[in-house]
Parts: sequence; structure tokens; C-alpha cells
Amino acid sequence: MDMVCGLSGMVSVRNPVQGISDISEAGFESVLLDIGMCCSPWEIEALGRRRSESKAENPLEISSYPEEMLRRADPIRNQCVKRHISMPAAYAPYLKRDSQRGDLNDLLFLLAKESLRIGKKAGCKDLIVRPWFAGIAKEDLWHCNKEYYLRLAAFAKESGIRILLVNLCRDLNGHLVRGIVSEGEEAALWVDRLNEEVGEERFGFCMDAGACNLCGQNMQEFVLALGKRLKAVILRDCDGHKETSMLPFICSDSGQAYTDWLDLIRGLRKIGFDESLILDFSDTARAFSPLLRPQFIRFAKAVAEYFKWQVEMESFLKKYPGRVLFGAGNMCRNYMKCYGEAYPPLFTCDNNQALWGQEFCGLEVKPPESLKDLPEDCAVFICNVYYREIEAQLRDMGIRNPIEFFNDEYLPAYHFEPLKGDR
Amino acid sequence: MLRLGVQTKNIVSDENPEEGFALMKRVGFSCADFSLNAYLSNREIYQGEVNRFFDRSLSELEFFFAPHRRGAEAAGIEINQMHMPYPIYVPGAGPERNEYLWNVVAPKSMELCAFFRCPYIVVHGFKMTHFLGSEEKEWEQTEKFLRFLAPTAKELGITICIENLYDNVGGHLVEGPCCQARKAAERIDRLNERYHAEIFGFCFDTGHANLVGIDFENFMATLGSRLKVLHIHDNDGTSDQHQIPFTFTRTRENRSSTDWEGFARGLERACFDGVLSFETAPVLTAFPEVMRAEVLSFLAKIGNYFSA
Repeated sequence: MDMVCGLSGMVSVRNPVQGISDISEAGFESVLLDIGMCCSPWEIEALGRRRSESKAENPLEISSYPEEMLRRADPIRNQCVKRHISMPAAYAPYLKRDSQRGDLNDLLFLLAKESLRIGKKAGCKDLIVRPWFAGIAKEDLWHCNKEYYLRLAAFAKESGIRILLVNLCRDLNGHLVRGIVSEGEEAALWVDRLNEEVGEERFGFCMDAGACNLCGQNMQEFVLALGKRLKAVILRDCDGHKETSMLPFICSDSGQAYTDWLDLIRGLRKIGFDESLILDFSDTARAFSPLLRPQFIRFAKAVAEYFKWQVEMESFLKKYPGRVLFGAGNMCRNYMKCYGEAYPPLFTCDNNQALWGQEFCGLEVKPPESLKDLPEDCAVFICNVYYREIEAQLRDMGIRNPIEFFNDEYLPAYHFEPLKGDR
Repeated sequence: MLRLGVQTKNIVSDENPEEGFALMKRVGFSCADFSLNAYLSNREIYQGEVNRFFDRSLSELEFFFAPHRRGAEAAGIEINQMHMPYPIYVPGAGPERNEYLWNVVAPKSMELCAFFRCPYIVVHGFKMTHFLGSEEKEWEQTEKFLRFLAPTAKELGITICIENLYDNVGGHLVEGPCCQARKAAERIDRLNERYHAEIFGFCFDTGHANLVGIDFENFMATLGSRLKVLHIHDNDGTSDQHQIPFTFTRTRENRSSTDWEGFARGLERACFDGVLSFETAPVLTAFPEVMRAEVLSFLAKIGNYFSA
């Protein structure tokens, strides 16, 4: 799974050296080439109406000269190449959410076409392209977008790039509600129809978790409906009402996240998601002083790694031919309830002497010393929140077996009592 | 013209039910959504403080509600829909409470629905995705409950309507049971085929749909003839306020932030010929009591606007 860092909020188009350096130093090896940074939704919206207020600073408006976009994006691309940062995905310029400007759809086509050129030069495998919506009647959305995407498909093929559709909110007088391809089943249908038309897998889907969250959607259902068509997930947090791009887990109340990360993780696990995980935390990043940004981006990288680890939890369990647990408490119980059958441990162990020799959730509880007799490819899964302390204890004891952390924060299920009708 | 209805809660009192029904009629309603859930509130159920109202025998309950039925009849109000108390299953509540809800409250609600000669009863699906791990597994539990009620529904000639609900994640109201129209339609059809009768249908709740940004028109059109009853009310998209339609705006232009145009188109596309029923009990406590008739009259006028 690629952990991809968004650039917005941290990197300047004109002078990307420091921003890209911060991202690289934080340990990110991939970035999202957000071409919208070269031609913003506000610039597009203003086209033909007034000259940009920042004309002095930005004399050439890309919306008037789309062919210049390649040159505008070059400093970022060059800097990424210099830093050995890959650009697996790019995001084509798009309209403002509440735009009424149906006259700009041809421009959007040109910008997407140019984005393919930029993506090819940057080595992108995917280009995220938002569907057209402005000035199109609801009943014509599929027809118009089909034409749009199929026109792009020829250029995409030439560039060796896959086009990813993305779910959008609709602005209903200030209330963001479900918009185009914002239902998983509809999104899957669009992707399938487009691929059928072009006779190859030229289209996939990028799920914007922030847009889903704004519409209170069940993200597990969304992911399951898309299955393998899902090629990228944009992780961004918000309070569920106002559109922002915050670092995941930031938006919370009384210690509880506003975003249903549980269902998203459950869904991604179920489909064995192994594509691009794009972290967009531009609003949080902007709020921090540039002085703090290097440390902040390192923290964001840790969040991305944690998310990846949660999604891949089951693959860690199946990676080893044998496993034992450390801990005979709630986390051990949760392991046995959710994974005990599929990935049975040989036994568990615990520092509490009083438990030795007893049975817990069908497992014998042994002293830590017994880990010394394990075959070398057998992994120890720590089922206790004092992960680092226990890991150090085991290493000090001379245990050389792989040590992994099990975690029950995002379990596949929580209800372990029999329900009526199950008895 | 579609008929208009409103929920009985905060209008019809146990002391003098006829007065409330007469008021409904006077201001322009011809139907009522009988709020049976007001006799055993969801707060009481969740908090484990289940009152003993439903301990009464069926004949005692019918005796209790006889004045309500007479009052409605006298006023010329048809009880076209009823709300069963909810939830019927509380995860982690233990067997005593859950079995009481399932085996006592639900069957007696069905009998009372028939007593009122009411054709539709609205039930809530179980909110269990968090615990069981998926919407499919959650639905399995709801379906067990629906199948438990099915023979009674068939015998009594009642259609049980499932409703789109919301759930809560850290205070953020998100999609709950029955928020996917295509799935709901398939499930309703499958169950109805199984029982060779139209004993299951759908109740579309505009407020709940607005909270989770559902496209009203598409949702209602997908349900089509399975759409039997409505809960019409408004909110700010943040909390379940059960307010008067067209109340909330979010921009300087002050246009409604709820998709009432989509609702009107949805009614048309679903070929809805039932009752435009308002679930707006909180409005009646929010406004001064002396304005009750005017408020209800205003709601009826909004109903007429939708109906036109």
C-alpha cells in the first residue's frame, strides 16, 4: 500500500524546495501531484469575469493558457525527482463545489488532458478527475460524463495512466449532500460501464473519505460496493458538517472521533485494499507555523503508518506459520473472539504468575519464559497496551522471534453475546 | 390532492383525546400518525427504565385507547399510521429488557394498530453495525424481528414499514439502518414474496435523510410503490430537530438547505398516493401553547403546498 502525502498546505508551486524537503525528511516516499495547485478552483471560476486579483504576482493564468500548466507544475515535479519521491497519483484541476458555470466544462476537459501530459512526465499511474456537474441536468449527468471520460480515455491510454473518478458532495444552498457518484453502487456501475466501453481497465475509483463523512455515509458499505475498483482513498478529517481537510483523528468530541474510521477500516480490510492511501491534511498543516511543520509532517507520517497497519492487521496474522499471544486479558479475549478460529495461537503468556497453568479463552496461560522454546518462525503477538514495555522485556529475555503488536481498537465485530434467535 | 396527517404526540391527550383529534380536523388534517411510542419512550428503553404500560392485557389496553379511537372517529380523523415504540433491541441490555420489548411490546403494538384499524405500523431496524461488524449482519437481526411479526401482520392486515434511520459516531449523526434504497426495496420484495402478501413497506423520513445527505428524489423513486408512509419534518442537517419544513437555511440567500424540491419530485416519481404526514411534535412544545392551532394550521398549509 502506497502512503501518499498531499502537497497542499505545505508546498508552494513556485518555490517547492522547503515543502518537498519537509515531506521527504518526514519519511514520505510518495506524494499526490495536486495539479489544482497550478490552477485553482477560484481561478477557474473567475475566468472571463474578472482578472485575478493576484495578477501582478501571477501574470499568466493557466485557465486562459492550459498548455502552460506543464511548465507551471515543473518545479514541484523536478523537486520530487531530486528527492526520489514518487508521484503515483495526480489530481486534475476542478471546479468549485457550488459553481454554476456549465460553460467551463470544455476548459475542464483541456485541463484534464494537460494533467495527463503532466502525469505521464511525472510517472503517475493514476489521475483523479472529478465528474462534470455544473450546468448539467440531473438526468443527463451520466450521459455527459460518459462522453467526457471516454474522450479523455484515448489520451489516458496514450499516457499509460488510469483515470480515477471521485465521489463529490453537492452544495444544496450551503448544505453539503450526496452528489455525483457518491453512492458506492452507482460509482461501481459508472466505472464498469466506462471500462466496458474502452475494453480495458482504464478507469478506477478514488474514494474521498472526507466527502463521505460530510454525508454521514457508511464507509464500509461504500468500500464493499466498489471492491477492487477502488484504487485510491483520500484520508481527510472534518467535523461532518463543514468541509475541511484535517489530519485523521483530529476532529473529535469528548475523546470520540466524528469520523467513522471503524467502518472505513473494516471495509478496506475486507477488500484487502493495497493501493494508494492519500493523506490530505492541508488545513491542519496550514494552521501550524512553518517552524513546526517538519515535526508535524513527521507526526502525519506516523498517522499514515498507523492507518496502513490497521488496514493490514489481518495480513500480519496470516504472515506467520505459528503464533503465540502475550497477555491474558481483554485484548486476548478480543483476539480469540475475532481471529482465534482463523489464526489460532499455540498458547498465551502473561506476567501474572497467578494465571500460569490456567486456561483463558481456550488457551493455556504460560509464563513468559516459555517463549524461549518457540520455533524461530513463530511470532509473538502482544495483546496488551504496554506494547513497548513488553517488547523490551522479551528482547531483554533474549527472545529473537518476530514480535508484533495486536490491537483491538478497530475490530471486525464487538458483540459477543448471543442475540435473540441465535440460541 | 393527497391527504394530510400529523402525529398525535403533543396534540392528543389521554384525558380528552377527542379534543385533539377535533383540532387536527379543524385546521385541515384528515389523518393521524398515532404516537404509540409516546407511551414507552426511547429514552426510557435505552436507560433501562421501562415503564409497565405494556404490562396491561390487550383488553385493558384496548379499553385504555377506546376513547382515542372514538375521538378520532367522532372528529373524522383516520389513524392511517402508527409508530411502534423503539428500539426493540438494545445491545448489551440483557435478556429481560430485550425479551420484554420483543415478546410483549411489539406484539401488543401490532394488536393496537389493528384496534385502531390502522393499515401501517412503522418500526425501527436494529442499530447494530458497530457491534456486528456490517450492515448485512445488522439487517439479519432486524429481519428476524420482522419475520417474527410477519404472521401477525398478515393475519391483522397490517403493513409493517421500515424507516431510514441515523446512527451516532462521536456526536456526528451518520447513516443508520435502512439508508440504502435499493437494498431496502429488494428486502421488502423478498419478504413480501415469502409471505405472499404486502406486509412490508417503507416509511421515508425526510429529517433523517437530510441528516445524512441522502438524495430524496432518487431514494423515493427507487422505493416506488414500496413507499407507504412518510415522516415529514426538517432540521439543520446537524441534529434531529423535527421542525417545520423550509425552516432552515445556511447561506445569505436564505434558501432552504433541505431538498424540498427533490422531495416533491420524489413523491411524483414514486407515484405516492398515501398521506403527507408530519412528524413535528417538538414544534408544538417550542411555540407558545396559545399558538397551537395556528402552528398546526400552518403545517397543514405546507402539506397542501406539497400536495398541489
